[in-house]
Amino acid sequence: MSGYGAVRTATGGVLRHKVQSVVIGAVLLTATASATLGFTLLAASDAPFQHVFSAQRGADATLTVNPARASTAQLTATRSLRGVVASSGPFAQVSVQADQAGQPWGQLNLEGRSSSAGPVDDLVLTEGHWATGRGQIVVSASQYGGLRTGDTFTVTSVPGKPVLTVVGVASSLTDSVSGWVAPAEIAQLTAPGNPVSEQMLYRFSQASTFAQVRSDISEVGTALPPHSVTTADSWLNERAQDGGNGAIMEPFVVAFALIGLVMAVLITGNVISGAVVASYRRIGVLKSIGFTPAQVVLAYLRRVGWPALAGCAAGVVVGNVLAIPVLAQSSAAYGVGAQQVPWWASVVAPLGMLALTVIAALGPALRAGRLSATQAIAAGRAPRVGRGYAAHRLATRLGLPRPVGIGLAAPFARPARTAVTFAAIAFGATALIFAVGLHSSLGQAAASQNLSATVPVQIQQDGQGNDSGPGGNVASAAQDAAVTAALTAQAGTLHVLPVYYGQVTVAAMPGNVDASAFGGDASWTGYGLIQGHWYNAPGEVDVNTSFLTISGLTVGDTAAVDTGTTTVTVRIAGEVFQPDTNPQLYGNAQTLPGLAALTNLGQYDVGLRPGTSVSGYIASVNNALGQDSPWAATPPQGGQFYSVAADLIGMLALMVAIAAGLGVLNTVLMTTRDRVHDLGVFKALGMRPSQLLTMVVCWVAGPAVLAALVAAPAAVLLNDATVRAMASAAHTAVPASFFQVFPPGKLALLALSGLVLAAAGALLPASWAARARPAVALRAE
Amino acid sequence: MTHRDDVISLSGVLKTYQGGTAPALDNVSLTVAAGEVVAVMGPSGSGKSTLLNLIAGLDRPDSGTVTVAGQRIDKLSETALARFRARHVGIIFQFFNLLDDLTVVDNVLLPAQLAGASRGQARTRAGALLDRMGLGKHLQDYPARLSGGQRQRVAIARALVNEPELLLADEPTGALDTASSQEIGDLLRELNAGGQTLVLVTHDAALAARYAARAVRIVDGRIVDGRIVDGRVADAAAMAGVPS
Repeated sequence: MSGYGAVRTATGGVLRHKVQSVVIGAVLLTATASATLGFTLLAASDAPFQHVFSAQRGADATLTVNPARASTAQLTATRSLRGVVASSGPFAQVSVQADQAGQPWGQLNLEGRSSSAGPVDDLVLTEGHWATGRGQIVVSASQYGGLRTGDTFTVTSVPGKPVLTVVGVASSLTDSVSGWVAPAEIAQLTAPGNPVSEQMLYRFSQASTFAQVRSDISEVGTALPPHSVTTADSWLNERAQDGGNGAIMEPFVVAFALIGLVMAVLITGNVISGAVVASYRRIGVLKSIGFTPAQVVLAYLRRVGWPALAGCAAGVVVGNVLAIPVLAQSSAAYGVGAQQVPWWASVVAPLGMLALTVIAALGPALRAGRLSATQAIAAGRAPRVGRGYAAHRLATRLGLPRPVGIGLAAPFARPARTAVTFAAIAFGATALIFAVGLHSSLGQAAASQNLSATVPVQIQQDGQGNDSGPGGNVASAAQDAAVTAALTAQAGTLHVLPVYYGQVTVAAMPGNVDASAFGGDASWTGYGLIQGHWYNAPGEVDVNTSFLTISGLTVGDTAAVDTGTTTVTVRIAGEVFQPDTNPQLYGNAQTLPGLAALTNLGQYDVGLRPGTSVSGYIASVNNALGQDSPWAATPPQGGQFYSVAADLIGMLALMVAIAAGLGVLNTVLMTTRDRVHDLGVFKALGMRPSQLLTMVVCWVAGPAVLAALVAAPAAVLLNDATVRAMASAAHTAVPASFFQVFPPGKLALLALSGLVLAAAGALLPASWAARARPAVALRAE
Repeated sequence: MTHRDDVISLSGVLKTYQGGTAPALDNVSLTVAAGEVVAVMGPSGSGKSTLLNLIAGLDRPDSGTVTVAGQRIDKLSETALARFRARHVGIIFQFFNLLDDLTVVDNVLLPAQLAGASRGQARTRAGALLDRMGLGKHLQDYPARLSGGQRQRVAIARALVNEPELLLADEPTGALDTASSQEIGDLLRELNAGGQTLVLVTHDAALAARYAARAVRIVDGRIVDGRIVDGRVADAAAMAGVPS
């Protein structure tokens, strides 16, 4: 018989150790799936953008310049500024109003560009050809991907209403315009009095932080005549936006992956360690018949090999399946096609977990190999004499029922195994409490973001949940009147609030700021406040975190806001929770004059009287509006991210909990096997099955209580850290209430999950032990 | 038919272990009267320990009836069997089967507590028994510190703590040296003198000859012989299946 053949024979089939094989397989499945998903999200959140940004030579900064203040020569001179490594432009830009297929389309921001190629912002033509002649337009894939070559626009804001035919679709990482035309076309599209601007694109030697980009932009601005630069945008904004939901989900997936990984190492080590301890006598016999230490080590590594391999393989599959909805959520944001799990994630995750498993198993396997034959045979399976005696004495003095006392004292006989049990329960309970907390935090975030609790109904165009504005149909006064009448006529209507969307510029801020102007009292809408208060005086506005980050302003500061018709000075009253890489500003229509125009009417927020059925209300409003109305009532849209995240959290928590339960089951099973003879003695002395069940469950009760005490604060800290990390990935701060998801009663109740987990894991082997005939147990030594 | 003074009555008992080709016990019938000492003897694998397990309620027969202390136990549930063992039977094992992590006194008082005695009552009884066994100075010691004879005396005290009608001893001197064996044998005889019914499974022909009033010989799962001579077993060595 070959050496390996002897090892195989001595180890026996995996099926002889079914429970341990299942435990190892399940734990590695969990850990590998989480790791695969974690790696995928890491890649999804960053790598594609970096790759495409590099390939397309994306612009670090995009500046819009007023040609009346800066000449082409002055703009060209900025190419040689210190720190500028490449530039494109100047490209002339103009904004026009257009119809598409007979319907008002809104505003088109067009740029004159002779070629898609360039040293900066090398466009990728995904369909058709470049615009080279009169009446041709190439549209931006990210903004008008639904359009196809041959579609036409009628430019309504220019005399003669020229027609533009779509000849191509292109994607631009800079993503600053709606489409491109031949440079000569710009003059044809410029109405008298309509200003033309020039765009310059730069790559800088140092542009990895907002501060660096701001400094770079400032240097360019200084080189040009004063007030030449009208807007400026940073590539970091684009990167953050493209990172999408993958980046936001990454923190909690990483947290679950780490929990799974630690559990896999602990449980695998425990299984092997238990197998070695339980097999001391067998190891002695193997050595006495000629097994070398290496063969003994190999025999015990083999014991985890197949189940570990199966668990890792299944984990890769599960990780890939779990990644599908997450990637589907964020792939649209990249504009680089469907995203897939990177091949290396499916290789590194299982191989890494296998390597960790081998490392975890190697220690006890080496110990088995080092034991001399006589040592091993003599050691048998009994725990070291003296261990746990003090605990038994204490349990006796406490006057607890004997099965309870003996059960509680038992873990002290095997401290290492008890530590692993404790760790398995602690990690499992932490995962469960963390999952519940994160679910609550995300639930609050979802409610704050889509206002579903306070604004159960929204009236939007086509009921699609899309805001109107550019690309959507422009409301008419008649439609506005019809919607208002339909809402006023409903008995359940408590509040009706028209919301106007527009863009404003804020002094000292690059680029445009998305503004929401409310046509009435909006204090009831319940925006989540991070700091400050909801505006309640003329001239006050609220802003999101991105606004404060980009502007450098704080709550209480004032800012000059150009609404397009006038410039007003506003005071920032509060910071609201609206995760967006774009700066957002919220104010009353009177504070933001000029925005409350029908062309900007985006939606109506509706508050209902208590007891009003939302679905009934929506049906009634839609009936009143009629099928021909472009407006329709709908529940608040959005929140798909939270739904996917909640499902993912639930799935990961369940997997970790199952792994933890199996870890406990494995430990109790090993201890039951070790103590099978003692159990037989207990039964022979008259211990009833229920008492035995109690005693065995009590083996894990002590570690479970300790684990629960550790898991509760650990989960709170983990939840806080994860929510902060997710918020950071989403470029927002969060209201304090998002962290306050663990009131003491709820936390105490959740901490019981540790006990439940332990009891669930222990119950099966405990009931096996309780059912066993004492004669069988006594013979089983 | 069970006589009302019989502590043990087995009738037509059959027991076959899973995977076993021949029955471990085949149509065994046996009665043991109150106050009697019966030695069960026979070669290894003959079914002695199986018989003891069935009497103790540690195992169940495939067929036949087992009545102990007036209670038919072959159909009892596990819980009822546990209660039965706690109240009616004391078991002494060859290798003592003491719980290493409990002190001597805790080992002894455990069955009393399982049977429902208060800790105070159980402790009093355990203390008295251990004094009687000469172990009054070792109450708080752990079994690992005791000699083999001392451990077996602790096991006997544990078996007696609930004052069972029946004491079952499976090779009680099998793991002891000659002096300790003598000491344990004397102790068992003393207990019997006090009226304790005792069933003794042993290979020790001398022990059986010296202390048992009746010997039952089992070969291949069947009782083949049982004699009483002057109240003591004659030709015990032959009955045990070993050369005399």
